[in-house]
Amino acid sequence: MTEAWHKVLACVARSLTPLVAALALIASVCAGSAQERSRLDEVLQRGSLIVVTLGTVPPFAFKDDKGELVGFDIDVARLAANALFRDPNKIEFVVVTSDGRWPAIESGRADMGVGGTTVYPDRAIRVAFTRAFIDSGISIMVAKSAGIKSLQDLNQEKYTVANLNNPQMADRAAALFPKAKIITFDTPSGEFLAVKSGRAHALQIDTPTADYFAATSATDFEVLPTLLTASQNNAIYLKPGDFKWWLWLDTFVSELRTGSLYPKYAEIYQKWFKKDPPPQKFYLSPAR
Amino acid sequence: MGQYRAWLEAYGTAYLEAAAWTLSLAVLSFIAALIWGAVLFFLRLSGGTWVARSVDAYVQVLRNTPVLLPIYLIYFGFPLLGVLWPAAVCGGVALVLQNGAYICEIFRGGYKAIEWVQHDAAKSLGLLPWTHFRKVTLPQILVHSIPALGNQAVLLLKDTSLLSAITVIELTMQSKVLTERTGTAYAPFLVAAVFYLAMVWALEVLTQLALRSVRWR
Repeated sequence: MTEAWHKVLACVARSLTPLVAALALIASVCAGSAQERSRLDEVLQRGSLIVVTLGTVPPFAFKDDKGELVGFDIDVARLAANALFRDPNKIEFVVVTSDGRWPAIESGRADMGVGGTTVYPDRAIRVAFTRAFIDSGISIMVAKSAGIKSLQDLNQEKYTVANLNNPQMADRAAALFPKAKIITFDTPSGEFLAVKSGRAHALQIDTPTADYFAATSATDFEVLPTLLTASQNNAIYLKPGDFKWWLWLDTFVSELRTGSLYPKYAEIYQKWFKKDPPPQKFYLSPAR
Repeated sequence: MGQYRAWLEAYGTAYLEAAAWTLSLAVLSFIAALIWGAVLFFLRLSGGTWVARSVDAYVQVLRNTPVLLPIYLIYFGFPLLGVLWPAAVCGGVALVLQNGAYICEIFRGGYKAIEWVQHDAAKSLGLLPWTHFRKVTLPQILVHSIPALGNQAVLLLKDTSLLSAITVIELTMQSKVLTERTGTAYAPFLVAAVFYLAMVWALEVLTQLALRSVRWR
């Protein structure tokens, strides 16, 4: 009797082994699929949106006189929070310097990033971008005292131009004024200090930021009239590989630029740039 | 792996160039800081009361402010006075000014660690002041100072990264430029970290060698 029981138990034990293995396999597959859960579900479950941004690029994202984070791109992020939660304040901003953007996205510290960020092919290998929500470009600001009137004037060995450490500026400087000396900073404030202290004669900066500074604080500067190249694209960026989250953000931008959210887009565009945005669709007359 | 090889091929020379900047800035600044620190120490030791107090004040101010301040002041401030030094020189001078203050204190600590009876003994042996200094004081200051000096050299090496704020394309700035170009989060900084580690390791070996050569003389 006991011997028979032993046989049964041994048989059960033997059959248990593959069962346990199968369970472990299923568990690991479940864990795997849990990891692959879209960021969109995570955001919805959390009930708030975490956005990495910059704090030094007016009028996109900067601190106002009261020290509050404001700007066109900040309003875009708030519209995204509003579209997700019907509340523009269900949002948390992570303010970093320009080269802090990529680790914040890759580590998952933030759900998405926005703030004066230009789409660039080199970057798109490791970061996903939505379609563009605003044009950008790079302008040259010169000290009025330098007497530089055009790009041709600037392309001389005696001139020094302050750049930011991004690829757009380096590539343009090499292509358009190769003779001028280039110095590279990691913040816009460094560029402005350089021109004010006489270390540089001109600086490169995003066109909307240049226009903003020229109109407000930097009255001893002027913006050279020529746009250096055709316009560029600023967009929302996120960790690549999450189709559901990318699709939601890209749809949001599409709605903002050309669809149901266009009136709100026109409103914040007016607020920060004091002019109408590009028309909603090329075959429609301009906004309003 | 192939991805990394392509990456290294594209940016390897840029890194080597940046590492050369970091290393030469650190070495030259440290040599200059040693000299400046020694000058300050002698002034502190043998100058009058007011000289000693001025040196103390200098040491306090420079030791108790972040080195980024003198870096900014020299790089952005001097041009207003008509002095337009290259960025690397501005940064190097700022590093020398601060590290000289630290090194002055290291020498002073080494000097104070000598038991006073030894000076009495030297005098009672009739040693002239210079012989006294050369045979009794200096060797002991060196022995006492070398570990702290090695430490200071490591700190100085790492502080060269602050020169990225004033356009010197050293290792840290090179990493920032590459992370901005490619949107790569960690790799550029990890490569820089390997370079820094290797340099610090070399410094530690040098410190050990220096210590040994002085101790067994």
